[in-house]
Amino acid sequence: MTAPEDPRVGLLLSIADDELVMGHRHSEWTGWAPHIEEDLAFSSIAQDEIAHARLLYELAEPLTGRTPDEMALGREPREYRSSWLCERPNGDWGYSIARQFLYDTADAVRLEALTASSWTELGDLVKLMQMEERYHLDHGRAWFERLSAGPVTGRQRLADGLSAGIGEAVALFEPLPGEEGLVANGVLPRPTADLLSEWLGAIGEELEAASLDFVLERHGSSSGEMVPTSSGEMEGEEQAFSAPGVARREGRWIHEGGFSGAGGRFGRHSEDFLPLWEEMTGLFRAHPGARW
Amino acid sequence: MVRIDGRDDAMVTRLEGSEEELELAAWEALAGVHDPEIPPLSITDLGIVERVRVSHGSVDVDLLPTFAGCPALDVIREDVTAAIEAVLPGRTARVRFVYAPPWTSDRITPEGREALTRYGLTPPARGPSTPMIPLASLRRVEGGAACPFCGALDTVLESAFGPTLCRSTHYCRACRNPFEAFKPKAAR
Repeated sequence: MTAPEDPRVGLLLSIADDELVMGHRHSEWTGWAPHIEEDLAFSSIAQDEIAHARLLYELAEPLTGRTPDEMALGREPREYRSSWLCERPNGDWGYSIARQFLYDTADAVRLEALTASSWTELGDLVKLMQMEERYHLDHGRAWFERLSAGPVTGRQRLADGLSAGIGEAVALFEPLPGEEGLVANGVLPRPTADLLSEWLGAIGEELEAASLDFVLERHGSSSGEMVPTSSGEMEGEEQAFSAPGVARREGRWIHEGGFSGAGGRFGRHSEDFLPLWEEMTGLFRAHPGARW
Repeated sequence: MVRIDGRDDAMVTRLEGSEEELELAAWEALAGVHDPEIPPLSITDLGIVERVRVSHGSVDVDLLPTFAGCPALDVIREDVTAAIEAVLPGRTARVRFVYAPPWTSDRITPEGREALTRYGLTPPARGPSTPMIPLASLRRVEGGAACPFCGALDTVLESAFGPTLCRSTHYCRACRNPFEAFKPKAAR
């Protein structure tokens, strides 16, 4: 299964594999988060995301002939359809929070669109997911607002996280295999380009409101925002950056084509995926058929 | 209706009867199945039983999960199967989790809300969802849940997340106790 024959499978896996891999990353904070409320928050969000992946694998079962466990843990790396954003290690707390905010705001846009899917079982399932995703959205947004308001160190770490993640967040919306057909028959009610436009416009406004929209222009390993330190010196350095294909036109942030960190929907992964896959699937591969 | 052991209590074993009588017996059996994460609460009071249908050789039970990732679902499935097959022997219980309509906390019965309170968990607010903000340490949210220990409304939401997916954590300013509540509905 290098390319799913049925585009519906590719659609389901684009969401399910994101949720599975994101859940796996979130679960790595269990026991390590900066305080216990966040330990519980990330653990709970991880539990929700992995459960959503299972529901989507169940929906795909008649099309794939594989059980949810086989889908989650029994595939070769190239068979996964996760996006690069979800695969990255947690890194700094600021990156984890920024990524959770970017991922869940983007996820909300695609889920809302899918509530109108002509595939009613998918639409019903998505409505259930949305009820739980609202807690995740609130969590990401509360931290975004809190950290963007300072103090300087927290704001800088959030900005660095947003800079590192924004390009790959855009690539969450890379076109799906067989997308034209999915849109034509209403399974995917709106094209991915349309969803990206909606998300980018909204996230652009939120970033502007927090004066953090520079991350859309200068994304990459470090934002290079110039911030005064307690000694009065200016910190931050300019880093090389590549355009994520976004630009501000007539007061609105839009996508002009081109992606960085795309390919996940076709089974091409970041260098961080293989180590994650090896850990995530290790037990399943060592003990085929085991139950726990 | 044939009562094979002649007892007159609710748990009497039913072999035959009208469809309504058999379904009633099944519902009574389900009222005896409890949520393993909230032991005093029966699954009927939790409002997760959507439909029961008794046919010749089987009993179909549709359940609505509270949260998709609830780890208690497998236990509930086993307990439901055992409870149904005990009162309706000769029929196979078929338990299915369905997702439409989505479960909401408005489905918890008044008896269920009482059971939650007795257990020390504040029942969720009813009706339209109120704005819910998860991290009171970031943005304090006043009120919303009554303290299960002293009844005061002078409480704050600490986090929408807690020890299980269906619980949130709060703090009572009046008696200065942390407490848990059944998770409030998220605002749209």
